[in-house]
Amino acid sequence: MYRFLLRTVCTARTSSASVFESCVFQRDIPSTILCEKTNDGANSNQVDKTKPLDVDGEPAEAPTVVTSKAEEDSDIMKVEVKIEPVMATPKQVTTEPAKSGKESLLDLLGAMKVDVTNKRKLKNKVVQSSYESTPKSKPAAMESTISMFQKATEEASLQREALDPELVAAASAAASTLPDRSQAESELLRQLREHETITEAQKKGDMNHLGGIIANMKVGKNPNRQKTRPSNQIRFDDDGQGYTHDRGVTAELDGIRRRINLFSGRRLNIFSPATDEDGAESTVARPTLWDMDFANQLSLLTNQSPRNGLEEMIQWTKEGKMWQYPINNEVGLEEEASVPFHEHIFLGKHLEEGFPRQGPVRHFMELVVAGLSGNPFLTVQQKKEHIFWFRDYFQQKEEVLKEADVYLK
Amino acid sequence: MAAPARHVGRYIQKNTYFLRNNFEQLWSHRMFLEHGKCCPSVLSTPLNGSSWSLPPSTAFIYVTYNKNTIYYRVVASRGSVNIALKHCFFLYFSRSFGWTPSLRQQAAETNTESTDSFVIPRKKTWSKEAVLETLASTVGRDPTAHPYLFQDDPYLSPRTSNEFRMYSLSQESGRSAAKYFVNSNPKFFTKDFAEPHIPCLMPETVSVLLEEMSEEALKERISLRKVTAAVDMYDQLMQAGTAVSMETAHELLDLICLYCDKDPVQGGPQAEDTEEPGEELRKRKTRFRRASDVLRATWRENNNAERIFNLLPERDTHCYSALIRGMVKHGAYAKAFSMYTDMLNNRVTADVHVFNALLSAAPEVRDKYKERWDLITELLNHMKEQKVQPNLLTFNSVLKALRRCGFLAKTQALCTLNEMKAVEIAPSLASYDHVLAVFFRAATAGESNTDVLREVMSELAGSSLTCQDPDDVLFFSSAMRLCMDNKDLELGYKVQSLVEHGENWRLLGDSYQQTVFYGRFFNLLCMMEHIDVVLEWYRRLVPSLYYPNHHGLRDLLQALDTDGRLDLLPTIWKDIRSLGHDNKSDLVEEVLTLMARDTHSPEVQEAFAVCALDVKSVFGGDRGRQSLEWSNASLSHITSLLLRANKTQEAWEMLQLFKSENRVPNEGLLEDFLSACRSHGSPTRAVELVQLSAAFCLSATGRLAKQALEFDLTEEQRAVLSELEATGEVSD
Repeated sequence: MYRFLLRTVCTARTSSASVFESCVFQRDIPSTILCEKTNDGANSNQVDKTKPLDVDGEPAEAPTVVTSKAEEDSDIMKVEVKIEPVMATPKQVTTEPAKSGKESLLDLLGAMKVDVTNKRKLKNKVVQSSYESTPKSKPAAMESTISMFQKATEEASLQREALDPELVAAASAAASTLPDRSQAESELLRQLREHETITEAQKKGDMNHLGGIIANMKVGKNPNRQKTRPSNQIRFDDDGQGYTHDRGVTAELDGIRRRINLFSGRRLNIFSPATDEDGAESTVARPTLWDMDFANQLSLLTNQSPRNGLEEMIQWTKEGKMWQYPINNEVGLEEEASVPFHEHIFLGKHLEEGFPRQGPVRHFMELVVAGLSGNPFLTVQQKKEHIFWFRDYFQQKEEVLKEADVYLK
Repeated sequence: MAAPARHVGRYIQKNTYFLRNNFEQLWSHRMFLEHGKCCPSVLSTPLNGSSWSLPPSTAFIYVTYNKNTIYYRVVASRGSVNIALKHCFFLYFSRSFGWTPSLRQQAAETNTESTDSFVIPRKKTWSKEAVLETLASTVGRDPTAHPYLFQDDPYLSPRTSNEFRMYSLSQESGRSAAKYFVNSNPKFFTKDFAEPHIPCLMPETVSVLLEEMSEEALKERISLRKVTAAVDMYDQLMQAGTAVSMETAHELLDLICLYCDKDPVQGGPQAEDTEEPGEELRKRKTRFRRASDVLRATWRENNNAERIFNLLPERDTHCYSALIRGMVKHGAYAKAFSMYTDMLNNRVTADVHVFNALLSAAPEVRDKYKERWDLITELLNHMKEQKVQPNLLTFNSVLKALRRCGFLAKTQALCTLNEMKAVEIAPSLASYDHVLAVFFRAATAGESNTDVLREVMSELAGSSLTCQDPDDVLFFSSAMRLCMDNKDLELGYKVQSLVEHGENWRLLGDSYQQTVFYGRFFNLLCMMEHIDVVLEWYRRLVPSLYYPNHHGLRDLLQALDTDGRLDLLPTIWKDIRSLGHDNKSDLVEEVLTLMARDTHSPEVQEAFAVCALDVKSVFGGDRGRQSLEWSNASLSHITSLLLRANKTQEAWEMLQLFKSENRVPNEGLLEDFLSACRSHGSPTRAVELVQLSAAFCLSATGRLAKQALEFDLTEEQRAVLSELEATGEVSD
């Protein structure tokens, strides 16, 4: 299951062509969680606990959760739809933490988070020192995890006193090396505070509180991220045409943020959609010279020379120069196209006149008619002529037949 | 499996009477008839073999079993195979034709489930080209071959876009000439060889048959598009007092206005249009821009159209429409608007074509951007008031006019697009092209202005496009220009993949547009892409789709230089030769400079030397083309390339060329030569070199002579050299 989840997430990541921002970060959540879980994979507890996750991650349940999201982004790509069932697990937890059936899952997630934060605490110390030396290179994996725990800023001011003054001092010192000093400082402090909150929660074992925290966790973008990225620096071109942005993943995201949606603005508000009768009216009219000229113009513009022999044959077929390939059994029967089938089959009516009602001649003619009705190679006219020839013949020979007593009227 | 089949066969015979009488009833009994639903096996009862002996109106029944539904395909067999198929109707109904009771019981159990699962499929109609189209779709493009057009004559394989144009035009003109000859001399082409008659191979009537004065004769002249003759005939009819029907008058006005009161070019494609619009497809002779398009006729004051229009007893929408469209087409914009006012005063409602024409003329009659847009909105409101539904061309005209509305364009273009969406008209490529033009010009700041294109491409991605507007064919090349200007490779690939999707390549336009498109794409690739990928594309595009011009090749050379793959130069040079660019001096010198600039491994140098000799042969070439002038740089580049590959003899011949071309070699070259002589141990050549240098009166002669004296020389040579050394020092 783990491998499956990871693989899905990975494929989803690689196959993105133009992805909506939100989706990118949605993907980040499960992937980071999973990665870290595998890192701490030595813990046997966690392996056990993955099983409820499996159950929950079943696609049968997933769509109900997904729908709300899917409605928001109306043009989600197909690739993303595939991912949704996988993403459904964390999302469900975050949106409906109070749901009773999900308590066990909450426990699991809570424990998992705690593991993460424990590790984070260790890491954070290292990072704090490293901030001094290399302020511009935050580890990317950390960045995303950190941003998960961002909370509202007003809370920060309230709890400022709760932190160790030494820590605060260290954080402000670290922040002074960053370009945006006050913001960086407040962010660092916020991280520290959040770790504390979570550890507190863990101590108390108050899982509802933790559920609240997780529910409140926001996926935010670090504002420093753009500035610190060397790849996003302005690059001057040789020909002096100005600068261009580096087209990477970030540029793609930029494009999405700034995208001008072609079809979601104001409109002229002049016309109303066409009704049916308008369309019917226009089709009735005979094509004028203008229409023909226009059609000719279009066909001249688009009609390119054939690319292979078959296309040339298509062209010849259209021109009528070539015998068309059969697409049914009636090719070449154009003259018979308007003749209904019963004309071919029910030839008995031609025997009504000019033939005796019974007797050998009649018998003979019935056989002829039966044969003709089964003959696919003659036209109706030819069949009729065939019958009429016999009629004339028997009428000519009427005398002879009467003598032989076979021509009975 | 076989047993039930026989079963069915027997019961069919029994039930033919039932079938014959109850086809209609069967439909009404569908619910009841769903017994056969759970037939356990696939049954197929091909009764074909015995069918002809059955009495008429026997039905064939094909039974197929699919999942939990049985389909009976009942085909009435009336006599012949083709008739039977012609009238075959696929009756999807189920009926137990006397199933065994057990089966019937089984069926009854399941028939409650899926009473509504029957969908009668529509009859599939195939076009007559369906088979060929399917076959053609399996044939890919051969990137190594020339276009199919030229394959039957390898001698005439084009190498440049100019040649492509010339050859394809001459092919077309040959066809046109033959057609013209056939049409103008129908008496020589009376024999109809084809067994089913092929109309397009027979001469067409292009001359007037009806000579007497009548409305029929007028109609004939109109259908043959003989403008002046039609006008004459109309005048005669008028003088004789014969009334002409309104319909004919409309057609006459259309004809005059379309061709602006002048006879269209004879032998052109027009004559056939009236007979069969579908036949237009084959008239490709005007695919390339015709001279007659450029030399537009202008609308004259009081021409025949206006005269006839004024003579008409009553004027309806169609008459006004013809006049206004003609005026706009032929540049009388102000007149068109006054005609429109006249029309409104006479309380005649306009049609959509009038508005389309007027909208496209709007920027011509107003000077200020604001006034232009006001006029456009006014016209659109008139449309609304007169209950005229807009079409795609209406909005495309608006967007096209917006290209000339300056600062207003950006917002209004988006509004127009949204209006299109609201009216449920899908924008065509031309709409997008106009929008791009509007946005691209407005955003000159260099800010990432491919956003709009990006948006358009995501809108279009994966769609199969058809040409709906003459401007559609401009989209791809302008989109690619945008990509190129913004150096946006990713977007360029998107545009390219859209072109390759389905039949979209047809919208690339004529060969000129196509060359422009691929030229820009290739330029973009050379700028941004890794050389291996560039070369891959190069192999894919050249020469089957794209004949690079010398700019394109220069870009390629630069890309080679940037990525340090100069060892590929000899192959590129071969392509340059085969593409006929070996007479472009700048290109040839570029190749030589790149080859001579650095020293490479011996193998590469060897290849370069062979290539250099090939380049040399171009200069002396006498193939009837304008041959290249030897320049100092090219001479010395070739010489040094030959020296590096130890081709001293050839290098020496090159040095002789300096003299005959009145060029002076630089000293570095001679020193290189001397060191080559030393390594080869050829003192005689060294002495000759110094003598040559002296002949050029080079200042380095003395130094060269001194170096040459260190060689293993004969006395005589030594004397010569010392003398040269002395003179060299004196001249210093």
